[in-house]
Amino acid sequence: MSDTVLDLHNQMILDEYDEKHDFFLKFREVVLRLLQECVEKNGITVITCDGRVKTRDSLIGKLIRKGYKYQSLSDITDILGTRVVTFYTDEIDKISALIEQTFDIDWNESVDKRKAQSFNTFGYMSLHTICRIPASLYQDPEYPEMNEVRFEIQIRTALQHVWATLEHDIGYKAGSVAVPTEYLRGLSRLSGLLELADEQFSQMRINVNNYRRKIQNLVTNGNFSEVPLNRDSYESYLKMDPFEKLIHRIASINQAEIYQDSLQNPFLEIMLEVLGFTTLEDIQLMKENYSNDAYRLALFQLGSTDIDIIASSIALKNLCIAAILNKETRKADLYHFYMCFGGTEESCMARAQRTIEQAKRINIIK
Amino acid sequence: MEVTIISGSKPTKVKVEGRIDTTNAAQFQEKLDPLMKGENPDIEMDCAELEYTSSQGLRTFLMLQKSVMARGGKLVLTNMRPQVREVFDITGFSNIITIR
Repeated sequence: MSDTVLDLHNQMILDEYDEKHDFFLKFREVVLRLLQECVEKNGITVITCDGRVKTRDSLIGKLIRKGYKYQSLSDITDILGTRVVTFYTDEIDKISALIEQTFDIDWNESVDKRKAQSFNTFGYMSLHTICRIPASLYQDPEYPEMNEVRFEIQIRTALQHVWATLEHDIGYKAGSVAVPTEYLRGLSRLSGLLELADEQFSQMRINVNNYRRKIQNLVTNGNFSEVPLNRDSYESYLKMDPFEKLIHRIASINQAEIYQDSLQNPFLEIMLEVLGFTTLEDIQLMKENYSNDAYRLALFQLGSTDIDIIASSIALKNLCIAAILNKETRKADLYHFYMCFGGTEESCMARAQRTIEQAKRINIIK
Repeated sequence: MEVTIISGSKPTKVKVEGRIDTTNAAQFQEKLDPLMKGENPDIEMDCAELEYTSSQGLRTFLMLQKSVMARGGKLVLTNMRPQVREVFDITGFSNIITIR
């Protein structure tokens, strides 16, 4: 391609490209930084945010294809092309809105390829926006043209990106040979399939977020019986500091320092599997019914020592022990409980037996 | 109270013996100091000969656990005697530090 002879007009455009190539490399660096900042500061996670300066060969190809379309290099808006690849379709519009707020948009040249498809066709889907860097956002005295030159931002989902890349690859590999209609139809069908998958992923995210909000509302309003016990609901529940009163009561035994540790695993696993809890109400009932036993157990164990540091999880741990002690299968369940905290089978069995003996001594069980 | 560190092994093997109480807790911490800065954050501590630990000892174990975690490593206490294990259980520390 490098040896291709262009007409004089297009050769001048190519010469201008050669002259400004270093500028475009710098331009790419600045635009990508601004684009990444624009996306990140709004808390959106994207798959990639990348860009390239059009290669010389690619520009020659374009100039040949388009004939006399361009008067000068500045008419070509994708010498610098950037791309943001998102996880979800609904993030495309969100990022587009952020780009509109951040950069100056050339609306005449921007095109929403998603709308270019009619209701019965499937194919390339991407949002192309042509932008300039506003002087209010960034200025470089060494490169005043930074605020004049236009560049392109493409926004698409990961699935749209996969389709576009494969479509480009198939077209590229076919070269001058016409791709048979059945293959093109196959590509079109895949585009429809991926569009459906994109929609499903977005819907799934909406459904999960709605579910989380519903659970948070139920927890906040204290409707614990309606909230199934799982990782999400338990996390929301913990935000209410449900065991705070008990841990302070236990700490007061020795005026102990409280070290805040995790109340997640293995406690959730124990409540689900050993205690058979199904809703948050089960935890509430455990708290109401066994807080006193949990405290008495701690009093018996810590009261005769001078230990003045405890982990905050000891409140929930003793609550679980007290609840297990009231089950008929207490020995086997305590063994299972202690195994969740590590140790040999023999030591866990001995600890289960010792706990039962302690509980009997302080009359928690008969 | 004795602390033996076998450097060069992965994970770093440590053996602790005797009693950690108010009289020697500072010394215990001092002996573990190199482990809180070392390049190898994976530590396996044999507690078979550990007879007792006070609150100060627990605080040093906690400090070591935090430093190990901050470096992406793991602290594992092994062969703990029942009476020492009970201290970790009744304080909730067995939920913080891995005990095997």
